Amino acid sequence: MDGTQSPDNSKTDIWSEAGTTRVPFQVYQDAEIYAEELEKIFYGASWNYVGLECEVPQAGDFRRNFIGEREVLMIRKDDGALSVVENRCAHRGAQLCQALSGNAGNAIVCPYHQWTYTLDGELTGMPFKRGINGKGGLNPDFNMRAHGLVNLRVESLNGVVFASFDHDVPGLREYLGPDMVKYFTRIFDGRGLRVVGYERQVIDCNWKLQMENLKDPYHAGILHLFLISFGLFRLDQESKCLVDDSKGHSVLMTAKGTEEGKEDTGGVRIAAPDFSLTDHDLIQPRLEFPDNVTLSIQTLFPSIIIQAQCNTLATRQVIPKGPGSHELVWTFFGFEDDDDEMKDLRLRQANLMGSAGYVTLDDAEALEFSQVGLSGSHVGDAAVLEIGGKDCESNDHLVTESLIRGFYMRYRDAMGHGKAGV
Amino acid sequence: MDRTEMSQPVTDDVILRRIERLQLNYIASIDDGPLDNWPQFFTDKCLYTVVSRDNFDRGMELGVMRFESVGMLIDRATATQHAAVFAPRIIRHVLGPAMVDDTGEGYRSRCNVVIYQTSPDGDTVLLMTATYNDLIVEQDGVLKFKEKRVIYDTHRIPDSIVYPL
Repeated sequence: MDGTQSPDNSKTDIWSEAGTTRVPFQVYQDAEIYAEELEKIFYGASWNYVGLECEVPQAGDFRRNFIGEREVLMIRKDDGALSVVENRCAHRGAQLCQALSGNAGNAIVCPYHQWTYTLDGELTGMPFKRGINGKGGLNPDFNMRAHGLVNLRVESLNGVVFASFDHDVPGLREYLGPDMVKYFTRIFDGRGLRVVGYERQVIDCNWKLQMENLKDPYHAGILHLFLISFGLFRLDQESKCLVDDSKGHSVLMTAKGTEEGKEDTGGVRIAAPDFSLTDHDLIQPRLEFPDNVTLSIQTLFPSIIIQAQCNTLATRQVIPKGPGSHELVWTFFGFEDDDDEMKDLRLRQANLMGSAGYVTLDDAEALEFSQVGLSGSHVGDAAVLEIGGKDCESNDHLVTESLIRGFYMRYRDAMGHGKAGV
Repeated sequence: MDRTEMSQPVTDDVILRRIERLQLNYIASIDDGPLDNWPQFFTDKCLYTVVSRDNFDRGMELGVMRFESVGMLIDRATATQHAAVFAPRIIRHVLGPAMVDDTGEGYRSRCNVVIYQTSPDGDTVLLMTATYNDLIVEQDGVLKFKEKRVIYDTHRIPDSIVYPL
């Protein structure tokens, strides 16, 4: 272990090695580690997804969201710019907005004592500020400027909005890096976005297991019998697993139709039923991006996933809810210029995804199996991540856990859990 | 879904009882199985959607399920029984009384529904509260759903939705 960590990094020794082929089960269930993750990752030097610009088109529009366990409001200001403020009154801490979305007019007013803020979060006034007949109220030296809402740094990239509690975090593009920006803007290409609809589900497993699952192409060709049965996904399809320099972000892509003959699964038969669809309309995609990729999943540290499976496009936001649970919020989107056929395709192919999705139903179940299984573990027990070797490099195949190993490199760095270099 | 000027409240007890029977047989195909029976309650060309009230109120049609033919319903029933990976569970629908109107093109039926889910360990949780908004037509002497729209309030779903609703 690296001996240079600061004294608060007491959890460094839970990692049994310098690399990330062993992930201690404590990181999925320990309350202290969880509290540390909130502070160091979600409230630290990270960019967190807060929504799409098209969700707040008019001045005063807001949408409520979470970063870690703190509630934030994404707000469209009068000048057209966006602000993100914490949804908590600076007076006594009451939640300001209860609706998921709405229009705040030109001010945010706390329902409790009507303390009033600009859409940027500056405190502008409250009832009985000077009391009644000179009695009561605030002292004249009360500093209004020092009692605004917590204001977050905001940046958006082609209509997708990110915020950070850390005002010194590097810019969003720098944070993502050129490779990740390239794949991000493959989907978010600058066209106007439209929300197709939302889904929300609470999955009782640690938030990191959800991120791992989307960095694990190995499971996709085994667990998802629906995909396998209909040839939508096979581990021998032309594919790419790309990890950024920080190792925390990644993208995986496959192209349907590039597989040849029968899949070589290494002698182990994958128990996929042999059946065909009665109605093939469900999976008749239309290529809409300038390549032959039919599935791409981008995961950005710490907790947002961008999915493009055929024509069903969605952001999946992972919101931690204690060490053993998280909420998954799906924002299905399309483009303003979608024709009627494409609108239908997006609605129909959404059957693949979401809380009842042909594909993702399996994920939510398997993730809960994981949490139940590991919760009985002893200190020192760890997940084994050696599929595809021990490194965290990019690959042109899918039988690898290198993206997960990369996630934990970044995680250990962010948490100060020793030096994770292999 | 709303009463139109043309539609008339149905007061004929025979029709109301037949519609009630249809709904009870429908939920039994899910709660008690076999799920293979579930598609038979629909006309060949049909619309089955499960949409959150949140989406519905925003004018968004996105559903957790959306099937436009009996074929798609058969595929869902087959995939659920033979391809999906999930922990076993028991589903239990509880229906409220229906308000039924005759629209001329069929019967519009609207009722509340509460759906519980029980795990293998025996814990029962509320999966959702919802309404059924249905268009029911008579085909060869049998009542069938031409449309069944499940609009659910509980848009923070506990884990996943495995079975149709």
